[in-house]
Amino acid sequence: MLRLAGVRLLAAVPVLLIVSLLSFGLTWLVPGDVAAELAGPTASAAEIEQIRTELGLDRPPLQRMLAWYGGLLHGDLGRSVLLNQDVGQAIVERLPVTLSLAGLGIAFACLIGTPVGLVAAAKVRRWPDQAAMGASLVGLSIPDFWLGLLLVWVIGVKLQWLPTGGFVPISLDPLGWARCMIMPAGALALTQVGPIARMTRSAALEVASSDFIRTARAKGLAEPRVFVRHVLAASLVPVLTIVGIGFGVSLSGALVIEQVFSLPGVGRLVIGAVLRRDWPVIQGGLLLTACVFVAVNLLVDLLYLWADPRLRGSS
Amino acid sequence: MTACLHAGAKHKGEHRVSAPSIRRRSVTAGLLAAALPLPAIAQGTSPGKRGGDVIVAQQAQPPTLDAQVSNAQASRNITLHIYESLYTRDEAANPKPELAEGVDIAPDGLTYRFAIRTGVKFHNGKTLTSADVKASMQRYARLGDSRDVLKPVAAYETPDSKTLVMKLASVAPGLIDAISSPRAPFVIMPEEECGKPLGQPALIGTGPYSFVEYKPDSHVKLVRFDGYTPNTAFSQRDGFTGRKTAYFDSATFRFMPEGGARTAGLQTGEIHVLESLDVPAAKRLKDDPHIHSFTMMPWAFLTLEMNTNWGLTSNLDFRRAVQSALDLEEIMAIASDGLYRMDPAWQYPGTRYYPGMAGLDAYTRQDQAKAKKLLQAAGYKGEELIIVADNSFKPHMDTGTIASQQLRAVGVNVKLNVTDWPTSMATRSKPEGWNLWPDMMGMEPYEGPYNVLGFFGGKQTVQIKQDPVIEQCNADLASKLKLEDRVAAVATFQARMYDQAIAVKVGDLGIIQATRSNVVNYAPYRIPRMWDCWFA
Repeated sequence: MLRLAGVRLLAAVPVLLIVSLLSFGLTWLVPGDVAAELAGPTASAAEIEQIRTELGLDRPPLQRMLAWYGGLLHGDLGRSVLLNQDVGQAIVERLPVTLSLAGLGIAFACLIGTPVGLVAAAKVRRWPDQAAMGASLVGLSIPDFWLGLLLVWVIGVKLQWLPTGGFVPISLDPLGWARCMIMPAGALALTQVGPIARMTRSAALEVASSDFIRTARAKGLAEPRVFVRHVLAASLVPVLTIVGIGFGVSLSGALVIEQVFSLPGVGRLVIGAVLRRDWPVIQGGLLLTACVFVAVNLLVDLLYLWADPRLRGSS
Repeated sequence: MTACLHAGAKHKGEHRVSAPSIRRRSVTAGLLAAALPLPAIAQGTSPGKRGGDVIVAQQAQPPTLDAQVSNAQASRNITLHIYESLYTRDEAANPKPELAEGVDIAPDGLTYRFAIRTGVKFHNGKTLTSADVKASMQRYARLGDSRDVLKPVAAYETPDSKTLVMKLASVAPGLIDAISSPRAPFVIMPEEECGKPLGQPALIGTGPYSFVEYKPDSHVKLVRFDGYTPNTAFSQRDGFTGRKTAYFDSATFRFMPEGGARTAGLQTGEIHVLESLDVPAAKRLKDDPHIHSFTMMPWAFLTLEMNTNWGLTSNLDFRRAVQSALDLEEIMAIASDGLYRMDPAWQYPGTRYYPGMAGLDAYTRQDQAKAKKLLQAAGYKGEELIIVADNSFKPHMDTGTIASQQLRAVGVNVKLNVTDWPTSMATRSKPEGWNLWPDMMGMEPYEGPYNVLGFFGGKQTVQIKQDPVIEQCNADLASKLKLEDRVAAVATFQARMYDQAIAVKVGDLGIIQATRSNVVNYAPYRIPRMWDCWFA
């Protein structure tokens, strides 16, 4: 298992290098820089040029790239002029918001999607199956930003059960944090319920026709126990794959959801940086996103080994 | 003769122009109207009630809180609660003293002697002196966004602690207009903060609120400065100046990028003041007793700039064809969601530099037959016209889209490139590769003529190719001591803009500010002012 982790981490190095090079390439290709943002929307070209010189943005790109890699070797991701903050610090401050949002979202999705998938498999081709699959298709088809706005309108404005947006750190007020996170995490979750439910159903159906399940039934085990104890356990590997992918999708979905609910997470940081051409933040954000994806993939691989002992020998 | 500009004093030689016959159309019904120049707002004479944390929502977060450096609205909304300037603008956008008692200008126009108010405290407890003012102005000359306006200043002298003397190398009749502009404000900070680099000074000012914290992507928090020294030369708030009183214990400026979420927050009471409410949302909420809407008209010029240096638009006949092909009112109606007025002048009516509208009708009427003839005269053979628009500002994209359709209707082969704002800005700064560029001018026309004319002048002019007549207008505006001569320069500029079709002035846009109904005595202005209003 350790060997697998080591190999995957080593393989991540060229991936991260390519990501960082691509992000640098974008700084050359995409027009605009932070000087125009600092100067403001009605600044003249001369005013922007003055700020560009002041900030050293007129240095050759290669010089800036070498300086950035030099800093990176020392753990320094650079400094954002717009945030007046080190990029590393800015990301670390926001990471808990995004990870907890994506984590809660995928947890909600698993809690709903897995039982729904199992019920659909247990009642295959009957109305619970058709209703569950129909509902999951609807959930899959709804854009998360639209769902977010709908939740704001219904739960926030009409029912006034939860705040329409904003964020309270869990360290300050756990209840306030939960109230702020339920709606955005719910919006993220609903788009993931469908894939998880459908994958659980198809995996469960495949497992349900296996000999060992027939044996379990022949032994007289109750059907719910057969499904929860045997079918679910044996269906976990493909479900874990979809949950891993879903977590990645939730992270990217968090970019939009954080905008809708005004959550100060990494997604909002990166979107703001893209719109304002805050290149150090974009580069740091891309590098971090690549790291998270590598970590999630590694975690899923390790979970395979935990879920399916047959894979341990082959790893 | 010494010209004096003191609190409450009128400008010498003030030029008054009779009210023009502006065509007004379908401005949102049922909303409270406030037009610029704003009348002196009837202020509540009874004292307000102290207390509470007022939550103000704005779309963008500030690119910086270093007030001198940026002209962004998102910065100004906040920094003008923290900082004050020597001079600023009153309710009708005229320059008025703020930290100065007044200024004496020598007859030759080369010496400006500012008397500085005494007893004014910074948020750190230090008393304001002329040394702070001098250091702040010198910092602005070094780093400020509009630093060019201080180029004529050869020396700053402080003969005593309450006097600043600016010695000019050449006359600059627009100096007070310039340093009173809130665009990238000439704020005064403690001398010891002025040596720090861009973005680094501690946020210490003399304003009614002091800075507490900035959480990027979330909010800025300010608290009432109980040591604030109100300006007793005034009896009430007046634009950015006046006698200011902060009633709220604190003010929190939240950054909420999503328009629907901002509106929802206002509806639920999580937000008390909204810098801008979408027009359709304002129409939907006009009967909501918990929400008050305030229309600011005008808020900005909507314009369509042309690149006179490159391609099709380097040809005067072609530019005139564009002028004739456009139905300006259709563009305004869509781009503004109905909150607009048709106004062809390049200054707002009722302001000191208003040049009138004589002779403009011929240029602003859509005439497709004339446009086709002009295209023939230009030798047009179906080449591509490139419009660069951005999707960051709805009026820009709408203007680009509708103008494209209207130009296609007369046979122009249009390519519409929609990008984000930084890309659009970077593209239009290049001498080639674009023909038309929609742009809103918000603060510039509010300030007066200097930055409007300046936008079309100088080495990096927006139309790329300098126009000798406009250069002369800018020179006259910068050097003529008599107001009527400067107004004449603005009139010449306006005539030239239309005659040479350098840009199209589409119309004036409005915006809607909104508050919860428990915010008392709020008055709309260029920023949501959190002084002289309070919770019921």
